[in-house]
Amino acid sequence: MVYVAGIDIGSAFSKAVIMAENEIIAYEVMPSGGNYKLTAEQVIEEALTKAGLSLKDIAYTVATGYGAASASFSSETASDISCLARGVYYLFPAARTAIDIGGQFTRVLKLNNRGRATAFLLSEKCAAGSGRFLQVIARVLQIDLEDIGELSLKSKNRVSFNTGCAVFAESEAVSRIAEGAAKEDILAGLHRTLAAKIQTMVARLGIEPDCAVVGGGAKDIGLVKSIEEGLGCRLLLPEEPRIVAALGAALVAWEKVSKGG
Amino acid sequence: MTEEKKPEERKRRKTATEAASRVGPMVKAALAENLRAKEEGRPIAYSFIYSGYDEIIRAMDIVPAWTENYAGVCGVKRDAQRFLEKAESENFSRSLCTYALCGLGFDSWREETGEMPPNPPWGGQARPTVMLGSGQIICDPRYKWYQAAQHYMPDVPVYVAGLPYPPYEDDYDYRDVQGYYVKYIVEELRGLVAFLERHTNRKMDWDRLSEVIDISDRTWNMISEAYDLRKAVPCPMGTGDAMNTMVPMTFMMGTQEAYDFFKDLYDELQLKIANREGVIPDEKYRLLWGGGLPSWFALTDFNYFNSKGAVFPAEVTYRLVEPVYNLDLPRVSDPLEHLAWRWVKYWAYRHDKARKRPGSNPDVERLIEYIEDYKIDGVVMHEAFSCRSWHPGLIWQLNQLKRIYRDIPSLILESDIVDISSYNEADTRARIDAFIDTLEAVKSR
Repeated sequence: MVYVAGIDIGSAFSKAVIMAENEIIAYEVMPSGGNYKLTAEQVIEEALTKAGLSLKDIAYTVATGYGAASASFSSETASDISCLARGVYYLFPAARTAIDIGGQFTRVLKLNNRGRATAFLLSEKCAAGSGRFLQVIARVLQIDLEDIGELSLKSKNRVSFNTGCAVFAESEAVSRIAEGAAKEDILAGLHRTLAAKIQTMVARLGIEPDCAVVGGGAKDIGLVKSIEEGLGCRLLLPEEPRIVAALGAALVAWEKVSKGG
Repeated sequence: MTEEKKPEERKRRKTATEAASRVGPMVKAALAENLRAKEEGRPIAYSFIYSGYDEIIRAMDIVPAWTENYAGVCGVKRDAQRFLEKAESENFSRSLCTYALCGLGFDSWREETGEMPPNPPWGGQARPTVMLGSGQIICDPRYKWYQAAQHYMPDVPVYVAGLPYPPYEDDYDYRDVQGYYVKYIVEELRGLVAFLERHTNRKMDWDRLSEVIDISDRTWNMISEAYDLRKAVPCPMGTGDAMNTMVPMTFMMGTQEAYDFFKDLYDELQLKIANREGVIPDEKYRLLWGGGLPSWFALTDFNYFNSKGAVFPAEVTYRLVEPVYNLDLPRVSDPLEHLAWRWVKYWAYRHDKARKRPGSNPDVERLIEYIEDYKIDGVVMHEAFSCRSWHPGLIWQLNQLKRIYRDIPSLILESDIVDISSYNEADTRARIDAFIDTLEAVKSR
């Protein structure tokens, strides 16, 4: 059996996927922290342990993401867009559009029928269209990031926000708290703001069904529902949306090995 | 006073042509000439590139100080931040044009201390005798920058030459109104000559002006012919080099030196084509720089594209000439009228073509023309956050291109012209990597 690995060192979380040929056998997700090199080593180690393997069993490793260069044990690096495209295609072969809501950026990409990205857009450099936006607000509202989605779905009176800027939204959220708005209504309002940003990107690129949503932001069911509401379509959602780029990296590794690279 | 910061040491960027490698020393020499002119008491004019008055300044032996260029030099040297911060401390918003901010920061610093800021890039920018604004398109710094600079130099007079051109609409022929524009521009340029005579003790020599215009017309033709050679496969010169060769095009127009430079470039490109010598040995993707001023501090990004097998045979940025023999200019005896006609006809050059394609406009038409002529695989644009005049229309152009012509891979880079705080090399290069992958995916479709 040939084993390959993909590793995605993102700005917020790092992920590793181990595949036996082109089947996923283990994965790991952990916060990236401040030392990408160390995190890269830890995340691959954890994934390998789950798979009952060690690094020497891996025929090829591909790294992607913000800190890809820090994964010094990898055989090569690949662009996050390419990896996302492959990962999405593996999970959802009918997907032709994908939205990746990452910690630093949101990416929207178009895929062809071979799982290759043919066009893409990234959010602006500010945090407005990224998962960072939600992290900021979770801190302000003193709730766990993973609770945001479910809580927002309880909203009965969604608050409107005047800004899409994470910094201004933070102060606006503080004002709404002071006015007595419920946390779920604030969250629902923020989801709408973030979803509107993402919808703009999707509109710029042009949506083609099916459309998948991946990345850490896709763990937030409230945000996913809000995007679905805005786009007027159901989104394909993987069981673990955070590992899709790492999965794609592992698929790149498998392509290399299977083609004799 | 803003604390002096030592700029980051940078390696010199590798150019593909010998001509482009000569440009750095030319800029340095031009700045040194400004400082020498100051010492010798010769008049210096703060000037904007492509304002239709280059030949007038040259004919009157006034030394131009291209303030946008100096801000760009500060950007290239990664030494603009202290001037941007100085301008900010003077209450100018950081969201203004960063060329203007850099220049205003520099001027306020120099005027405040009575001497050049410490270790100014390439010797600094001399105090001007006059400042020549330029009212055209919607670039507000072209008329507001020098007015703002008068806060620090109230004794330095400003002249703003209005240089409009017929806007594009698909339901009228610009020829119906071109005469009005020409008449207006001639009056503006005549006013400029009178202003310069009044404030610089120089007299216009009209025969000399005609000679200078003849040189610049020939230079327009030579540039067009040299740049046309870049259609060759492999491409002998890319946009990275064109961001150097824009210097003699925009800062030295009307000089024999500029003409000779482009004749040398033409000869060099001919030789490269004969030897099948491209920018890179294995040319895989041909890209169009479809708009946006470059990030002057990150020109090595062009080399990064090259390392991925991509070359830029063409760009719309700083290709500010067309062959004069294609402009259908009337024969006129007044040199100012010739300048006015050339100005109007240049801007209307693709009006007729655009009117034939529903949904198009001259800018989109130019993209299509270059995509076809230069066998382009993808389009790259740069949105510089601080430029409000030219950059906002780029995405529209790209969308129209895809709508009325064909879906072509595209990449939009986001940063600035001078403000390095807007730039992230790792992120930019990750985008370039992903774009290369999409080009490959589309090519192998």
